Amino acid sequence: MRDVYVAVADPTRRELIRLLADVEELPLHKLTSQFQMGRTAVSKHLTILKDAGLVLDRKVGRETLFRLDPTPLREIQDWVAFYSKFWTTNMLRLNQLLEEEEE
Amino acid sequence: MSFTLSLDFQYTTSIEKLWSALTDSSKLAKWVMENDFKPVVGHRFQFRAQPIGGWDGIIESEVLIVDEPHKLSYTWNSAGQENTVTWTLKDLGDGKVNLHLEQTGISNAQANEGAKYGWMRMGGELEKVLEQ
Repeated sequence: MRDVYVAVADPTRRELIRLLADVEELPLHKLTSQFQMGRTAVSKHLTILKDAGLVLDRKVGRETLFRLDPTPLREIQDWVAFYSKFWTTNMLRLNQLLEEEEE
Repeated sequence: MSFTLSLDFQYTTSIEKLWSALTDSSKLAKWVMENDFKPVVGHRFQFRAQPIGGWDGIIESEVLIVDEPHKLSYTWNSAGQENTVTWTLKDLGDGKVNLHLEQTGISNAQANEGAKYGWMRMGGELEKVLEQ
């Protein structure tokens, strides 16, 4: 079951997203070198990102290259946008209220 | 795992008037929802909207911080969401006040279709009112 919310809940995975956002593709060893943890641990995090649809991988020879697909992040953006829209609309009403009081 | 909504608004008013709009129950009703709010830490209250879809329209809240006229915070619990809403007021001088909103604890969307639907609808209705 892909769950983009669970995928971005972990700081290591957010850091992986950040690293991949800066580049076209990165091989596993380059990603691993950015962290204090071992190759297996980083690999596990990448698998969770992959399952959530946030990361794509392809094999080139003996190397695996990873790239970011930010599309699923839209789900989170949409969810936050509901709150944003709700409050932005209410703030316009607050502005009206404050202006009325001024009169 | 949670997300924070963070928004800033600026108003041409005094910080006292803005504080009053945030903390006076009848004024609050004019721009948020019907409520029984009191600016007293520990006070439990509700915001009440029209029930819609699977959402009962009730937001359960408890006042967490009252620091007149600078900071106000309360919980915002509805349809399985347990959020905290925090208002920070800052006098910018020249009769301008900045109002900062943070809503924290926003979690998974799937369990909250009702609230989502309710808020979307509310947003749409309010827009119509504003256009009049």
